[in-house]
Amino acid sequence: MNPELEWLTFKGVTLRHLKEFVSYRASILATIIWPLPLLALNVYQYLGLASTSQVGQILYSKYGIASFSGMIIVGTIVYLLYNRMLWGTGAWLVEERFNGTIESLLLTPSSRLTMLLASGFSSLVEGAWWIVGVFLLSWAIFGVQPAIGDWVAVVIALVSTMIALVAVGVFFASFFVLTRIADQLATSLQAPVRYASGVAFPVAALPAIFQLFGYMLPVTYGIAALRTTVIQHGTLVGLATDLIPLFVLTAILLIVGDLVLKRLELKAKKDGSLYKI
Amino acid sequence: MTNAIETVQLTKFFERKGEKHGRFSWLKRKARLKPISAVDNVNLSIPKNSLFGLLGPNGAGKTTTIKLLATLLLPDMGAAYVNGYNVVKEANEVRSSIGIVTGGERGLYWRLTGRENLLFFARLYGVRDDKAKPRITELLKLVELEDRADDNVEKYSRGMKQRLHLIRGLIHDPPILLLDEPTLGLDPNSAVVIREFIKDKLQREQGKTILLTTHYMEEADQLCDQIAVIDHGRVISSGTPSELKSGMQKFDVLRINATGVSEDLISNARRIEGVEEVKISVIDSVAGLTEILVHTWNAEETLPQLTETMVKSGARVRLIEQSKPSLEDVFINLTGRRLRD
Repeated sequence: MNPELEWLTFKGVTLRHLKEFVSYRASILATIIWPLPLLALNVYQYLGLASTSQVGQILYSKYGIASFSGMIIVGTIVYLLYNRMLWGTGAWLVEERFNGTIESLLLTPSSRLTMLLASGFSSLVEGAWWIVGVFLLSWAIFGVQPAIGDWVAVVIALVSTMIALVAVGVFFASFFVLTRIADQLATSLQAPVRYASGVAFPVAALPAIFQLFGYMLPVTYGIAALRTTVIQHGTLVGLATDLIPLFVLTAILLIVGDLVLKRLELKAKKDGSLYKI
Repeated sequence: MTNAIETVQLTKFFERKGEKHGRFSWLKRKARLKPISAVDNVNLSIPKNSLFGLLGPNGAGKTTTIKLLATLLLPDMGAAYVNGYNVVKEANEVRSSIGIVTGGERGLYWRLTGRENLLFFARLYGVRDDKAKPRITELLKLVELEDRADDNVEKYSRGMKQRLHLIRGLIHDPPILLLDEPTLGLDPNSAVVIREFIKDKLQREQGKTILLTTHYMEEADQLCDQIAVIDHGRVISSGTPSELKSGMQKFDVLRINATGVSEDLISNARRIEGVEEVKISVIDSVAGLTEILVHTWNAEETLPQLTETMVKSGARVRLIEQSKPSLEDVFINLTGRRLRD
């Protein structure tokens, strides 16, 4: 492994993604508009049934969640970033194949994993405004006040969640490239994760079997870690139960994703299948 | 190893699957058919600083050979070495040693400018920005794209994209270039510019070793020091263009353009004494204009009989010319068909 080559690859892929992202105003506009109705949907599905204080009381007494809207805001942000990974990094290799540029990439001596990590990183940068934007919006509309006890814990929870999301993108990319329908696969993976990872309600509210599924998803632990630190005055000590499984799942996703990608490239080189599009 | 590229019995098969038939066909697996031999025991020795041509029709195995050398495909049998590196065991070293240029418009990022495309690929080859940027400017000048360097590639003409492709393959200054149909689909003027660039700048001035695939005879004839004629995955002949043509010198070649050419006329022409081969190809289907190519031992004796046969059959002759054998004639003689068939 050549560290300079990998760094240049990371830089090259990231800057290229960002340039392509800003080159069409419509894509920026879509990115700005998309979180607003999603946030409203998540909040008003509760407020259509009961008042803010009633919902807050139930969530606190049953699940120990201090802020109803804070819970939803954190869940919505992580879910938005997860979607960005599905469509950005997950579908990236398929898009390269469709555009006829995948051979050019595979002809370079750069690591494929580095390319995917850079693609994930740039997808996060593209979606980073959501973190700030959605919080500002929530403060302005719902009067949400963050309840932060330890800023270091917030940063660690945020960075760990982002790394886990990149790993999710790498994992999906290696599987999506097996098929020509990345967009349909990405769509089909949106709803189950939204349902089982506790985006808009606590995972504990789910039937046991779905809770089991939810606890297999890194998104679940990312949401839990951020909720603990951003709206519950959580500290580093209290984060361990969320961060340890998050790290384990991140490592598994990266290792499996990399292995699948390598095997897939080998298979494609044997039968020429990667280029048949 | 003194050769820049060497292949030893290089072979590549592609699996084929048949159609599913019958009731509940969706349940049945596709039948496996005999694999296609895309590259079959190919032996090539390409010396450093030479321009070597792989000449053959579409589907002959040229692109598969290039992909095997570029590490995009794995061989099923045999071995290949590029710049002394084994294409299977030392793939990364091979990739750093080669620049590859494919014909057509794909392989570039249309939403980036020409300059940004080059910088992107320079980084993926590990070229630092401080070295890459002046080199990019120099390369853009070389192919006369400096004025359009900061326009998005989507605004480029096909010829401009092809020139950009060419210098993209040079961005990391590789000693070996694999050019797969580099003038495919270009207008004649753009093709001439690219050919001159390949011969004069890349081979003569910069001393690159170039493996070029083409199905354009004139391109191979004009550019290549050595040629291997490939058909159905096998190298059927190789040598310098003059060596290949010298094998044909014993024949005279008559080219006839005519309308109203019938099957009977061709059969009768083949029976004329001294005629070795008669091939026809349609030049203008609307006007019914056909080119008849006749290889004969003695054009002076054949021509009167051929003319008489044509007149009797009702064909109207537009042009008759006697020419020296070209590489096209060599190919027809070797394979019994034209390159563009």
